[in-house]
Amino acid sequence: MATHLRRPILHALWPDRRQAIALIVAISAATALPLAAPQLTRRFIDDAIAGAGTGHLTLLAVGYLGLALAGQAARMITTWLASRLAWDGTNRLREKLAAHALGLDMAYHRAHTPGELIDRVDGDVVAVADFAVAFLLDVVASLLLLAGVLVIVFTVDPRIGAALLVYCLLVGVGMTRAQRLAVPSAARSRQANATLLSTLEERLAAAEELRANGAGEHTVSSFHRVAGAWYRAEFRASLIGSGLLAATDVVFAAGTGLVLGLAAWAYWSGALTAGTAVLLFQYTLLIRTPFERVIEQLRQYQEALAGVARVADLLNERRSLPQPTVPRPLPPTGPLGVRLERVGFAYPDDGEPVLSDITLELAPGETLGIVGRTGSGKTTISRLLLRLYDPTEGSVQVGGVDLREVDPDSLRRRVCVVTQNVHLFTASVRDNLTLFRPLANDDRLRAVLAEVGLGDWLAALPDGLDTPLPAMSAGEAQLLTFARALLTDPGLVVLDEPTSRLDPATERHLERCLRRLLTGRTGVLIAHRLSSLSTVDKIAVVADGALVEYGRRDQLAADPDSRFARLLRMAEVRG
Amino acid sequence: MSAVLSVVLRLMRFDLRRYLIGAFLWLPVGVLPLAGGLLLQRLFNQLTGDRAVEPQAALWLCAAFIGVEVVRGLIMVLAWSYGVYWWDAAATVLRANILRSLLTARGPAATRLPHSSTESLARLRDDVADLVSLTDESVPLMGSAFFSGAALTIMAAIDPVITLVLVLPMLAIGVLTPLMSRTIQRLRRRARTLGAAVTSFIGEMFSGVLALKTAGADTAALARLRILNLRRRDAAVADRLATDLVDTATNATVDISVGLVLLLAASAMRRGDFTVGDFALFTSYLSWLTQLPRTVGGILYRLPQGAVALERLTRLLAAHQDARDLTRDTRVWFTEQSPPATPAAPQRDDPLQVLEARGLTVRFDDTGRGVYGIDLRIPRGSFTVITGAVGAGKTTLVRALLGLLPTGAGTITWNGRVVADPGTFLVPDRVAYAGQVPRLFSASLRENLLLGWSDARLPHAMELAVFDVDVAALPDGLDTLIGPRGVRLSGGQAQRATAVRALVRNPDLLVLDDLSSALDVETERLLWDRIADAARAGHGPSTLLVVSHRRAALRRADQILVLDRGHLVGVGTLDEVLHTCPEMRRLWGADLVEEAEQQEWSRR
Repeated sequence: MATHLRRPILHALWPDRRQAIALIVAISAATALPLAAPQLTRRFIDDAIAGAGTGHLTLLAVGYLGLALAGQAARMITTWLASRLAWDGTNRLREKLAAHALGLDMAYHRAHTPGELIDRVDGDVVAVADFAVAFLLDVVASLLLLAGVLVIVFTVDPRIGAALLVYCLLVGVGMTRAQRLAVPSAARSRQANATLLSTLEERLAAAEELRANGAGEHTVSSFHRVAGAWYRAEFRASLIGSGLLAATDVVFAAGTGLVLGLAAWAYWSGALTAGTAVLLFQYTLLIRTPFERVIEQLRQYQEALAGVARVADLLNERRSLPQPTVPRPLPPTGPLGVRLERVGFAYPDDGEPVLSDITLELAPGETLGIVGRTGSGKTTISRLLLRLYDPTEGSVQVGGVDLREVDPDSLRRRVCVVTQNVHLFTASVRDNLTLFRPLANDDRLRAVLAEVGLGDWLAALPDGLDTPLPAMSAGEAQLLTFARALLTDPGLVVLDEPTSRLDPATERHLERCLRRLLTGRTGVLIAHRLSSLSTVDKIAVVADGALVEYGRRDQLAADPDSRFARLLRMAEVRG
Repeated sequence: MSAVLSVVLRLMRFDLRRYLIGAFLWLPVGVLPLAGGLLLQRLFNQLTGDRAVEPQAALWLCAAFIGVEVVRGLIMVLAWSYGVYWWDAAATVLRANILRSLLTARGPAATRLPHSSTESLARLRDDVADLVSLTDESVPLMGSAFFSGAALTIMAAIDPVITLVLVLPMLAIGVLTPLMSRTIQRLRRRARTLGAAVTSFIGEMFSGVLALKTAGADTAALARLRILNLRRRDAAVADRLATDLVDTATNATVDISVGLVLLLAASAMRRGDFTVGDFALFTSYLSWLTQLPRTVGGILYRLPQGAVALERLTRLLAAHQDARDLTRDTRVWFTEQSPPATPAAPQRDDPLQVLEARGLTVRFDDTGRGVYGIDLRIPRGSFTVITGAVGAGKTTLVRALLGLLPTGAGTITWNGRVVADPGTFLVPDRVAYAGQVPRLFSASLRENLLLGWSDARLPHAMELAVFDVDVAALPDGLDTLIGPRGVRLSGGQAQRATAVRALVRNPDLLVLDDLSSALDVETERLLWDRIADAARAGHGPSTLLVVSHRRAALRRADQILVLDRGHLVGVGTLDEVLHTCPEMRRLWGADLVEEAEQQEWSRR
């Protein structure tokens, strides 16, 4: 991965100066205070043995207490500062990534599932953040503490200091190696646990099918098989895991033993006092935690690095729809005319032509019904009208301007789509209506909901517009999208009609709302119902990406040989 | 609370030998630090004593100090690895008992299961772990109680006053631990909720990317993400702080205790009554002494949690079962040997003549939807289609008939005899069922189709469900691994796979819920043809109950049941219901455009 890709990531994670200084101060205090406390114990013991006054000793004891507690407090403050800082950095990175990914074209989103993007924008970012916070808190602070211990022990007795240094180096190398040993078995155990849980989850989701097909006992048996595999993986992991923990205990006991042995030897050679021996004992107890923290972080470093690489890949994606050099706005009010001229299209990922040679024209205020089998290309036409893609041949014009030259903001304001797959957000009714935009005041929102017939529905909600969106029926959800469309007053409405068989009352109501939505607007209707086709001005029949029939509805209906007329006849015969 | 304790006791007893051996093995791990402290005491006393004493003695003490830790380490590995079996077995028994109850016990499982399978999984994962961990806590409790008793005795022999004073901070930990654990759990839950809110908002941003982009609402959505991010940061920082606070509190207690020892021992030390060795012993015991109050506090905190977990797990069991069924020793298979194969289905002597339901009623309280007073009669050899608008209650009716939903009223009879518990009676080889949403598992295709049934009829069933061609095209045929929830199959393939699963069971009555929604017209026609031919030839299900709105199915039906908002509004052949039922006429017309287009297409 090139450095230039890492820079935006580092930039997003970098803290501002004030926070950074506060953190440096806190980390220094959290390191210095625990290092200072044992000095007082040494003075206490040596002075006590030398027979100093109780007042003096009490003062030392109180001093020790103060230093120790201040050290704990400094550590808490460091934690607070470091985790805030890391979260701010990650949040910036997450927002940057989300903005970048949202800005990418539909071609990108067609090829990448939301789950994948959650992994990139959340999962990977969290891995990077976890490492960042741990790095500040654990690695830097731990290494400082470790260095401090070594320096002090050196000043006490250079020989013991040298021995401790060699010991630390050996332990560092040994623990890193050992950690690597544990990783595969721990990963296998985690995997076995994940398999166990996903097996259970799949079976629970299928409880009814399993019951009704008499597969209950069989399922319990397969669960036992998976549980057996889980136990075996856990057993192996626990052998290695507990072995490592025990080895760590032994290694640090050995370190303590080593330092104490050296201290005893120095004591007999007259080089140090009993208080200093206690001091050395306390310092050796200090080195365990930083070691464990650093080693743990080495493991996370790998994950974070992989996360950084994937994040960088996403940032490296470029949008494929060129922005207009001189953006031209659409007319701000009134219906918009539509013109497709010899349009051909193929999706960039497979290159298979989806549309060829489509020419259509709608005067402002006219409506067009597009009829065609699933996969015939009618949905693609609607995507081109919204400029989610550019045609590979020909041009699409709305309001007299080629879409490639239209200002994107004005396009989103003036062209509106109502799809049959209504996307509802887990958010309040208001957010679902405005899509998080500060669009209109609440009175207008209520009025729009009432206009589409959701007034009573809204009135029944406990917190009105602030109620989290409750479960909606298919019909209600469709009405909500009509309300969304009405809010922005578009000049062109592209509408993918719901195919689902709604109950009769809802269906009639939807049709009324649809007519109201299209009044005074240009409409392109992907039609699934004969009744909606009776209200449009023009009909286009699409098959295999080609326009097989196109004309005014009344003319086509009058021509007995037209496909449209055939359709109408079938409805009469069988209806 | 007593219910939890009796479950804890039963969990200890279900494999008592392993529990006791494990507990016995752990004991030295908790107790051996006593020796370490005594060795340190001796060592430091020598350091302050006469310099004429042999220095080798000190070195031997250091070696012994390391030796004790080696012994403790070895025992720990042994105890830990041994204990894994007990822990995993206890969890497996609980989970298996719940799973068996959900899948085989009398009465519908629908009311017992929470709304989402993720929620059910959370219970089987976390609630089970809560109960087992609570039981498991008794093991370190013994060790730390033993240690504390001995350590306090040794310390009291040195200086009873200091020892008595040191008990106070320990008690404080015991009181604080459950309190802090509650706070931590609350903060953790909050951090998780807000974290999940960010994750799900990101997910929604990208699954709703079309809606956001076409409305030009991407900037607004990002602003919302920023707000959620900030909330999450604050919650996550609070969570981290609270978690650190526990360690900090313990460390601070040790620090305070050391300070107290210094304060109280000052004069005694000057007199020489309290030696440097005693000081070393006290400091080394202090951090171990915090174990007992932490463990006790932990248990006090876990007990109410365990009660909640137990209550939630018991709710997953059938109405006639209780906590005893939860902990029933149903053994585990942890060695390589596999659990016994499931017994073959018993031979039945009452083949379907007629299945009837009278006044079948299901009421969903939350939505007001349901089905009301449905009468139906399915004679042997008939093809019945249930049809209706979205939300009319088609699936509800089928599920109620099969005993998958609790019915508010109504009776079901099989050949005239009342079926007491349809959920356990209307199963293969009487009835088999393929639901609306195909439920497939991460396993081989063969396992997914058979689910323990004999493979004798598999090729035939695959042919009937028009699945044979698909299997032939798969790289590993029936051994193909189809991925989590069967993602590697297309929607239509998944639906036909569930049909094969039902057909393999050679039922008298085959129930298919809206199989056709992911099939094209041609495949669907073939499927009905093959099943009908097989029924005539006597080697397929004789009787069919199908939910469908497709004309191919409706035209074949001997009787159509038309549902409208939970009520049966028409029964009869297609001509009859088209004639008598306005709702049927409306539904029939609505499909026209789509099917006409399809016919246009297939003609070319």
